[in-house]
Amino acid sequence: MLSLLFKNFIRSKGTKIGLLFLLCIGFISLLIGKQFQDKQEKSIQEATIYQKEHIARNAAFHKDEIGLLLYYIKFSLVNNTFPINSLAIGQRDVNPSIQNVTIRGLEGQKYDTELNNPNNLLSGNIDFSFVLVYLFPLLIIAFSYNVISEEKESGTWKIVATQSQNTFKYILQLFYVRILSLIALFTVLLFTAVLFLNIPLDQSFFVFFGIGILYILFWFVVCFFIVSLQMHSNVNAVSLLTIWLFLIIIVPAGINAFIVNKYKIPEALELTITQRNAYHEKWDTDKNETMEKFYKHYPQFRTYKLDEKAEFTWLWYYAMQQMGDDESAVQSKELETKLEQRNRTSELIAQFIPTLHTQIQLNEIAKSDLHNQLLFLKKTTQFHEKLRLHFYPKIFKNEAVDQQKWENYKVETFKDATEISFLKAFMPLLLFIFVLIGFGWRNFNRLAA
Amino acid sequence: MKIVQSEILIARHFRKSIFKNPAIYIITAFIGILLLYAAFTGWDNYKSQNETSEKYQHESREDWLKNPDKNPHRMAHYGNFAFRKSTPLSVFEFGMEPFFGNAIFLEAHKQNTANFSEAGFSNSMLRFGEISIAMVLQVLLPLLIFFLGFNAIAYERENGTLKILLTQGINWKQLLIGKTLGIASVIMLLFVPTIIVLVLVWLFLQNFSITADETVKMLLFILFHLAYLLFFCVIAVLVSAISKTSKKALITLIGIWLLFTVILPRTTQAIGAYIYEAPSKIQFNSDIEKDILKEGDSHNPNDPHYKAIKDSLLLVYKVDSVQQLPFNYSGFIMTEGEKISSRIYNEHLAALLKIYKKQNSFSKTVSFLNPYIAIKNLSMGLSNTDYESYIDFQKQAEDYRYAMAQKMNALQIKYISNTKSDKPKIIGKEHWAEVDEFHYEPEKIGTVLKNEIVSIISTLLWIAALFILIRIASHKLKAI
Repeated sequence: MLSLLFKNFIRSKGTKIGLLFLLCIGFISLLIGKQFQDKQEKSIQEATIYQKEHIARNAAFHKDEIGLLLYYIKFSLVNNTFPINSLAIGQRDVNPSIQNVTIRGLEGQKYDTELNNPNNLLSGNIDFSFVLVYLFPLLIIAFSYNVISEEKESGTWKIVATQSQNTFKYILQLFYVRILSLIALFTVLLFTAVLFLNIPLDQSFFVFFGIGILYILFWFVVCFFIVSLQMHSNVNAVSLLTIWLFLIIIVPAGINAFIVNKYKIPEALELTITQRNAYHEKWDTDKNETMEKFYKHYPQFRTYKLDEKAEFTWLWYYAMQQMGDDESAVQSKELETKLEQRNRTSELIAQFIPTLHTQIQLNEIAKSDLHNQLLFLKKTTQFHEKLRLHFYPKIFKNEAVDQQKWENYKVETFKDATEISFLKAFMPLLLFIFVLIGFGWRNFNRLAA
Repeated sequence: MKIVQSEILIARHFRKSIFKNPAIYIITAFIGILLLYAAFTGWDNYKSQNETSEKYQHESREDWLKNPDKNPHRMAHYGNFAFRKSTPLSVFEFGMEPFFGNAIFLEAHKQNTANFSEAGFSNSMLRFGEISIAMVLQVLLPLLIFFLGFNAIAYERENGTLKILLTQGINWKQLLIGKTLGIASVIMLLFVPTIIVLVLVWLFLQNFSITADETVKMLLFILFHLAYLLFFCVIAVLVSAISKTSKKALITLIGIWLLFTVILPRTTQAIGAYIYEAPSKIQFNSDIEKDILKEGDSHNPNDPHYKAIKDSLLLVYKVDSVQQLPFNYSGFIMTEGEKISSRIYNEHLAALLKIYKKQNSFSKTVSFLNPYIAIKNLSMGLSNTDYESYIDFQKQAEDYRYAMAQKMNALQIKYISNTKSDKPKIIGKEHWAEVDEFHYEPEKIGTVLKNEIVSIISTLLWIAALFILIRIASHKLKAI
């Protein structure tokens, strides 16, 4: 029986076209993922070469003053791109994966953006997560909106009903065939991705896989529920497409508008202005005042005294730069808090919206979500502070430039080690699946009775 | 006269049958609420965006003027900001705004990036799209039209009433036009109030003092959307007319909608981006650095380029050292350096923008196949939230930056002593007002129309195609 149902399903022209279309666009998404991966790798390689050349060139040039040299040279921190990132590019196209900073004020450098064509950002990537989140449901709907109703409309349902002992089991078998073929398609695509993009078969991958399967099941269960209401095919199609539209466009967009309006961030602009003024006004204020503030922040550098006679010293200069950061710390902290609130609220709400939840979880696994970006920004601050603490004494002592081992300053990498929570990843989807199955079952039983 | 009457009769009748379905009231009410929500969030966004940007633009200007007497080069590093402002129409069409940086720090020697875009501060939620009036008009209403219209003729065919209609002296053309008008009249119940609210909000936002430019943009915005929606009404009726059953009509229409609004826009842009790969930021910046070094390094006393300048200056002024020149030598060198570095930056930027343009060319061309892309590009252009507007904003900011840096260099050349005297090397604060405040001027309607010429032509072609299709269909369609 099952094999007959399967043959019947797969023989339809619509099925073949649908599966083929999804397979093709799935492969395209992998190509796009590959290009993204290559570009990331190339950038990192370039950053490594560039930093080496850049430091060597500047060190050869400004060999007399280490203070001046460090005014110029930039150090890179890379946000590690895991291979699985190519499946869910997420926010990695908007946010830079490499930060280049000098040891001067950080706040003016931290939020520098990636070079981007806004048109690409607006239309979005065709990465694998897009295929899964947007397109799989469409095919699921196309395959199942007319289960039963089609047979009823063409008059064959009565024959089926009289010939099989258990019509509910028959319906389940119809779904079983469809579920199996789409899960097979998903698996084929994902394992192709493993080979093509060198994705390691680790925990992240299997959670990704698991979420994908649950997401597909979720949509089948939605269809099962709508079919259980036993309406006309047209009504089913309209209802299912409307549900898709809600879950994919309207609700996420509505929530986004809510979050953006609730947590507005004028702090971002305030921060840049404060930071600029705090540094620049020090040129015209009492030097000792600035130095006193600096010593308060770094008591260990109190031993380095200002040369009263000199009009300009690097000690004073970097103390001024430091004040730019110190005096805008409040705004910086506020901005950070707001962004964390945005992230938390959206994750919280997303648990109730399966599409959003899936997308956010996939991005989290791929380390391409807002959370990752916030961690990277934090790490950038630490990286910058480490460089400062390392170079400040050298500058204040005016150590010889050629005595430093410049070739030792390599590009550093930040690896996001956020653990994946199984409960958070799977629970919301599982709940939705069980609830909808329950309701669907009840509908079938009620109508059969 | 009689002919028109029967068309109106068909339209009225079809409209009645649409309202027999109770679902239509729910959908209409829902879309109404959505439109209000979209108008509200759009307004809120616009206001806070413009208020903050105005506030900080003003504040940073005050800060600039408040600076005490100092060396002009310090001021060039103190710098200015360009904050982006939105146009009134962007309340209805957000376009690419969430992806635009909102602030650029403008200082000497350096072209900074436009920072703090909404997208950079968002979770991936933003990527699902945004609720704006334009989105409702361009994406949701076409689907509603399809949901209302798939039955238009296919249902009459299924029922057998189509034959009766046609035998009673109604011709196909009347039927098609009548049904189209029927759907259109229902859609107008949503469209007209929306436009009224839109115009009111728009007037209110500008305190009822509107410019001719903004008015033309607004009128075109309304007109193009009207044409766009009518287009979908015709498509719905035509597909319904050629489909054997209403189910087939529905599935075809849904397919068309998905293709137009979801699949094509993304794929075409992705293809463009895939084929024409843009350089990474690291590569872009290091290429510029290398080219600038090639041209000459103003910090290097032995650099041939700058040495040549020095020698020629010494020759012209008949002196033996730069200290004896009658003007500030380092100011002169910085002017030269700024000129060279901005030229090189602009050359690289132009090359980058050329790549972007090629990437965009795919989706632009596809507007001939997809009316959604045509209207999207047009409405983004009219509301100055399109790609060209953003590039224009960045260009205006860069022009301002260059003028500011060179003004400071000029002040240095003129007023700062060239010798190592005891006199502090500063100038009076009254000079700071000589640099004007940054003011972003959105692109005017003429430029917008020129930028979006492809979309306009394709919209016109689409409208022409409809008339032709109705004509062909009325000759070829069969009752069964």
